[in-house]
Amino acid sequence: MIEKEYLKKLAGKLMFDMNDEEYETLQKEFDVILKNMDRIAQIPDLKNVTPMTFPYVHETAKLREDKVEEDVVLSVGNVLKNSKHNVHDQVKLPKVVE
Amino acid sequence: MRKVVIGLEVHCEVMTHSKNFSASPNEYTMTPNIHVSPVDLGLPGILPVANKEAVRKALKTAMALHCENPDEVIFDRKNYFYPDLPKGYQITQVTKPCGVRGYLDFYVEDKVKRVEIHQLHLEEDTASLEHYNNFSLIDYNRSGIPLMEIVTEPCIESSDEAVAFLETLRSVFLYLEVSEAASDKGQMRCDVNISLKEEGETKLGTKVEMKNINSFSNVHDAIEYEIKRQNEVLDHGEKVVQETRRFDDTTGKTFSMREKVDAIDYKYFVEPNIPPVKITKEFLEEIRQEIPPLAFSRMNKYMEEYGLSRYDATILVKEKKISDYFEEVIKNGASYKSASSWVISLVLASLNKLEISLEEFFLTPKMLADVINLVDNNKLSMDHGKKIIYQAIKEKRNPIEIIEENHLEKIEDQNVILNYAQEAIEENPEQVRQYVEEGKDYIANFFVGKVMQKSRRQADPKIALEMIKQELEKRKNR
Amino acid sequence: MKTIKSYRKELDDGKVTSEELFQEARKKILENKEINAYVTVLEEKEEQEGNSILKGIPYGLKDNFSTKGILTTASSNILKDYVPVYDATVYKKLKASGAVLLGKTTMDELAMGGTGTTGHTGVVRNPLDPSRLIGGSSAGSCASVVAGITPFAIGSDTGDSVRKPASYGGVVGFKPTYGRISRYGLFAFASSMDHVAYFTNTTEDAAILTDILKGPDKMDMTTLEDDGKKYTETLENDVTGRKLFYFKDVTNPSYYQDKKDPILTETLTKFHETIEKIKTLGIEVEEVDFDKNLLTAIYPAYMTISCAEATSNNANLTGIQFGPRGEGDTPDEIMMDARTKGFSELIKRRFILGSYILQKENQEKLFLNAGRVRRLIVDKMTELFQTYDGLIMPASGGIAPHFEDASDALSDAYLILENHMAIGNFGGFPSITIPSGIVHQMPVAINITGRVLEDDVVLNIAHQIEKKLNFQKIKEEARCEK
Repeated sequence: MIEKEYLKKLAGKLMFDMNDEEYETLQKEFDVILKNMDRIAQIPDLKNVTPMTFPYVHETAKLREDKVEEDVVLSVGNVLKNSKHNVHDQVKLPKVVE
Repeated sequence: MRKVVIGLEVHCEVMTHSKNFSASPNEYTMTPNIHVSPVDLGLPGILPVANKEAVRKALKTAMALHCENPDEVIFDRKNYFYPDLPKGYQITQVTKPCGVRGYLDFYVEDKVKRVEIHQLHLEEDTASLEHYNNFSLIDYNRSGIPLMEIVTEPCIESSDEAVAFLETLRSVFLYLEVSEAASDKGQMRCDVNISLKEEGETKLGTKVEMKNINSFSNVHDAIEYEIKRQNEVLDHGEKVVQETRRFDDTTGKTFSMREKVDAIDYKYFVEPNIPPVKITKEFLEEIRQEIPPLAFSRMNKYMEEYGLSRYDATILVKEKKISDYFEEVIKNGASYKSASSWVISLVLASLNKLEISLEEFFLTPKMLADVINLVDNNKLSMDHGKKIIYQAIKEKRNPIEIIEENHLEKIEDQNVILNYAQEAIEENPEQVRQYVEEGKDYIANFFVGKVMQKSRRQADPKIALEMIKQELEKRKNR
Repeated sequence: MKTIKSYRKELDDGKVTSEELFQEARKKILENKEINAYVTVLEEKEEQEGNSILKGIPYGLKDNFSTKGILTTASSNILKDYVPVYDATVYKKLKASGAVLLGKTTMDELAMGGTGTTGHTGVVRNPLDPSRLIGGSSAGSCASVVAGITPFAIGSDTGDSVRKPASYGGVVGFKPTYGRISRYGLFAFASSMDHVAYFTNTTEDAAILTDILKGPDKMDMTTLEDDGKKYTETLENDVTGRKLFYFKDVTNPSYYQDKKDPILTETLTKFHETIEKIKTLGIEVEEVDFDKNLLTAIYPAYMTISCAEATSNNANLTGIQFGPRGEGDTPDEIMMDARTKGFSELIKRRFILGSYILQKENQEKLFLNAGRVRRLIVDKMTELFQTYDGLIMPASGGIAPHFEDASDALSDAYLILENHMAIGNFGGFPSITIPSGIVHQMPVAINITGRVLEDDVVLNIAHQIEKKLNFQKIKEEARCEK
């Protein structure tokens, strides 16, 4: 079983925490999914398959022509609309220590 | 003496109209948050749409750095949390970078140095943070601006080499017109990895990373400081700590930011919203055609073929436009050496003095070449040539026109006028005969006219008459 | 049951105005309050822009589509106050068609769930039996159509989030080919499998919507070029000679003998009865022995891929540029606080799972192996599609469960039967669920999945089957019995 402390560390890297009970549920869940994935690893010749990222080959996918489209540009008001702390037309947050 | 081993990671903003994954403007501004689309802000539901021009310029730069290009455009996500990264991931290239395994040659003093390029990839810039005493502000204008990252192999051995490499790389960007590469606008930034190793040791020493150094002189100073610091640490029998350090340009020192406990796992995976787009041979060929000869090869040509000094060649290739101008002057018939010295001493000096760019400069390469040719053929004195050029620049007039019209600019140089006189005498044997054999002295005026014509009315007629008489008298006495 | 066309006729005949339909729908929401289909109901009808068959007809939009100026929460606390500043392409197109947005529908939090019970504003109930769930994640949209609040509602489908609830509600759920409809403005769950999908009362209505919503979008690189087709025009094409297949064993009631589950047995028996009716249309239906290892791998592979993509897709939810701001003295602390408070337990567990899967040391065995299985399954399907026009399966092994029986925990039982529809998301295949019968007074359904790009074929086959089955009649008869 995966260590609770390890899961806690993973959660921390994802910028949230859970309570002990929740970690225990997660441990059990991990067990099931890892067992399932172990089963998947048994599928013959799996190693020789290229992992699929896109549902199918998109033959006609195109890059975008380099043009500015003014209608996608947000007003400063809309940029900041959902931010709770703004100063000087910018989003304010506690000092970022580099 | 320990060996210095330096690797560089150079970030450079790519010059495009719009951002890398959205159609908002890629334009430098001091006004915060005016160039922001939902995509740049990482709002729920947004999708990236890759900019063809950014890809094209990254491929072009990779090509100019002799890299291998991939067969398709594909991007990856680099996942990490930081307040300047609104999506919580940066779109970059890991699976198939725009270029791998290249190199860049350049001069360090008079020796050619080759730096191996590990890879060049295209990614997006982050938002910018402004720090105050107890808070920070986020401006999303920079978020999503296309960024090229060039990663060298650890094969640079001194601060001078590092700076020479960066200057050459910058010149490549400028020659290709892929970036303004202005470090004062933060458009070119550099991370430096540096370690020392004992002579004869094959294994690299412990690496120290210095992030986001924004000027070449700071790169130089940071490296020098680190060499000194790391040498002292090792001299004391201690170990260099693997860490990230920050260079402070006011003190010229580096400070420890954080020790590398364990490397951050960026959990890279292929960006699922950007389907791979094939890069055809035709597309690559089209790009290849657009790559002009770069500074290094021009420099070699100027030295080897044109016989110029390394010093002059360096000056001429510093900017592509100057180099192009110089080459145009040559195409218009000027000799290599004259073209070089006139461009350096006159054109560059004028641009400096007038504080203008070559685009604003009135004098065309053809105009300059015409004047150079007159001087080189002794039809115009050097002094007069220069004066006329300055006047032409000042009055925005064709120098030839000035020469033709303006009688104030006489040729007083006896040697120049004598040349014209001798030519005129050679070309008109009948008149010479009349003067010499028939004693028709007034024929001398005919030759004065011819000299005036040849010199575009620049020759001083008095001197011309003197010279003609002198020459014709010689023939009488033969 | 009222179709889009019947609404159209009433409007055109002047029997009702668009405003009246809007108010009537608002009233129905109140009448069905316990169903909890809507998070946000519009107070006033939006200014109408366009003109099409949908003009003046109200519809529901899942609360994970960006609607400028209208609260959009994805049923998550972390977005409980989020008012978008841009429109999703789907919403834009519907506005341009003259359709009338009634409100935003309840969903499983961030679309990561299949029960309709995990939203921040509470559970969604099945209008056919409020003690049962309607399924998710597009729960509210499904309930809106089932309860007759609107004739259609838009959802999203990453595993079966439209096609499964459709089955539990006895309505049509259609997910066109990946890329047929722009995802711009649809809050991403798992980008490589997310689809815009919708609930309607009939296949014809699904075709009407597809004709309006499909097409390339410069905001979504994965959208397909216009195929120039009108799917509504080929619904009556002859289906004689079309070939369908279903998976052997897992559709056989005797395969589950030890489970002693009468509903399952009845559902599968009904499925085979349905197959027989379909054969009378001249459609050939055959069973295919599909590699059981691959079928068993569908769910774990789906979980692996979707959790991995989701953990990255939702990394923008930090409470900085939008959402409730967390408390703390450093940026890390405020993000930590916002995310700890903003996500429910289930979401957090999935994110940790996804993050673990993407860890450098686990990628090969977990994330990439899931991608490999995905390819094997899609390749096998594509191979079968050379012989067959589509896969036909029971959309579920049963009827809508009671709340107490619902669970989002990973379980081994019915693994294949309950999760096979994710195949449609793996390969981006067009896939439709249509009601096919009644079991224990609740609807059961079949699902048909066809070749990539052939949305027209899938709709054509489904429409003909729908006519043949005459589900409305079955439903009415069942009511009489009840």
